[in-house]
Amino acid sequence: MATRPADVLFGRLARRSASVSPAAAGKGGAAAMLKAWLPAIVILVLMLLLPTFVPSYIQSLVTKMMIFALFGVSMNILWGFEGIPTFGHAAYFGFGGYACGILIVHGGISNFWLNLLLVIVFTALLGAGLGIPAFRVYGVGASDNPIYFLLVTLAFGELLVRVAIAARSLTGGSTGLAGIPYPDLGLPITINSFSFYFLVLLIVVVCLFLVYRLVNSHYGYALRGIHDNERRMQALGYNTWLYKYTSYIIAGAFGGIAGALFAYFGGVMVPGNMGMAMTDIVFLIVIMGSAAWYFGPVIGAVVVVGVEYLSSVYVPDRWPLIMGTIIVVVIMVIPQGIGVMLLGLWRRLVRGRSA
Amino acid sequence: MSTFTITTLNGVSYAFILFLLAAGFSLTFGVMGVLNLSHGALYMMGAYFGLAIVSKLDTFWLGVVVAAIGTGLVGLGIYFFFLRHLYGKVPEQAVLTIGLSYAFANVVLWIWGPFAKMGMTPSLFTGVVRVGDLAFPIYRLAIVGIGLALLVVLWWMQDKTRVGAIIRAGMDNKEMTRSLGINYGLVSTLVFLFGAALAGFAGILGAPILGAYPSMGDALLLLTLMVVVVGGTGYIQGTMLGALIIGLLDTYGKAYVPQAALFTSYVIFIVVLLVRPSGLIGRKVF
Repeated sequence: MATRPADVLFGRLARRSASVSPAAAGKGGAAAMLKAWLPAIVILVLMLLLPTFVPSYIQSLVTKMMIFALFGVSMNILWGFEGIPTFGHAAYFGFGGYACGILIVHGGISNFWLNLLLVIVFTALLGAGLGIPAFRVYGVGASDNPIYFLLVTLAFGELLVRVAIAARSLTGGSTGLAGIPYPDLGLPITINSFSFYFLVLLIVVVCLFLVYRLVNSHYGYALRGIHDNERRMQALGYNTWLYKYTSYIIAGAFGGIAGALFAYFGGVMVPGNMGMAMTDIVFLIVIMGSAAWYFGPVIGAVVVVGVEYLSSVYVPDRWPLIMGTIIVVVIMVIPQGIGVMLLGLWRRLVRGRSA
Repeated sequence: MSTFTITTLNGVSYAFILFLLAAGFSLTFGVMGVLNLSHGALYMMGAYFGLAIVSKLDTFWLGVVVAAIGTGLVGLGIYFFFLRHLYGKVPEQAVLTIGLSYAFANVVLWIWGPFAKMGMTPSLFTGVVRVGDLAFPIYRLAIVGIGLALLVVLWWMQDKTRVGAIIRAGMDNKEMTRSLGINYGLVSTLVFLFGAALAGFAGILGAPILGAYPSMGDALLLLTLMVVVVGGTGYIQGTMLGALIIGLLDTYGKAYVPQAALFTSYVIFIVVLLVRPSGLIGRKVF
């Protein structure tokens, strides 16, 4: 990277990201930084206090929302920021969950941190393996006709579903892998459904922070550049294949973390967790929440998991019908997502108050 | 030797079932470039519509007609209300149609219950053919015959008729086709309706062999995708080739290496996508 046009862009990106990222607000000082981070801090404090004033089933519902929020955010690295429509992201979610469960049930590894590390390594390896053929199919600047990439990633997910069904001794076959206990932290704290909430909160907040820093770094701006015009990024000297490939691995690893948390949460993994239906749900979460906004998938996860819960209480057998209807309404009526609408409302509110 | 012959016959008849299933998808996906992943749900609905008529009125062929018309209308609705407005937005098409197929499966489950139904074989084609000491169901031979007839009709339509010429022209350049005064929107709507009707036709014809249950659409959709992509998009003969490859491979696999049979076709699918995304004898349509 000596004297190439890329440096010019890097320089510009660095300045842009400095003005965008509140963390690097620099001269504005602590007060400006505090103001920018205030909503996040308020939400975090509320989340920490939440278990004291809601019943336990709401707490468990919020745990699930957080897991799916991380899942959605990890997929949005590819779809929202880079414009790559991966239809096999559930493969990483399910693979992470299965890896976690198999390590505990068959591998005898009970330590949570070691397990999480291994899950990250395994999902990253899976992403590294599948990413090579996937991006060979994708080609360059395929965002106009990503159909073959979409099909090949869909096939990866379904292939893993078949493998999970066939490898009965390891995965429990089509009935699923059951008996995954709550994590053992290796600390004098026992994790039950109450304290698991805080563990998930910790992991999800750390992951969301890491992904936030990632997509607002030089690297993240390069991904946005690939979204807008991959050929131009190549002309500027970027190895766009490497950016796509590494981001695919990173997104897969974060999806795997979400899957591992989901395995602990439900105590069971079924092959369908890697398949088309799960991918469709995460796509719904991202599109509904707004792919264009970093926190969009969080909102999408809250809505989708919330509606799923309500449907499981009142009309337990009609969830697929309700899900299909929501998908149709979201894609036909609000394709930009409700996250952007809420963000616009919030900005107008804040501006109205300060003026 | 005789088991090999039977396996081959089974493979060929399975290939023709796959061809029937994939023909409609080949039209809407391979020719029009619309990714309708609710095609699997359309077979399932075709099977159920047809079986509802068959069990009430006991006439198989009326059931076939009703199944084709019913799914054709459902498909027309999907195209007219949704997919028409999502032209060129492939991921959105995929998400929407997967969602629709789960919704359809749920509605069918609601109406007809979760248990699998077996289609009855039409009385014309019951029984077996005996050659020496080999016995083979007539219905499977009939499926091969119907599949061949459909292949001939579609091939003729594709290469010799005005409609086929318009469709092929639209594949190459939609704007140019429109500017020549051809109502391409109408033609593509009709092609979509025809493709959806073929799904229902295949659903009811396949019901005596594949059965009918609400979640059947998923597995069949994936098989169909493989057949169309492996054989080649854009040509009906490509679909036939894909059906033969996947059908024979799957049948031999199940007979000789049952452990691997679950995913051999996926591996072929992925390899073809890697090496020749437009399929073995297809043309690039995307």
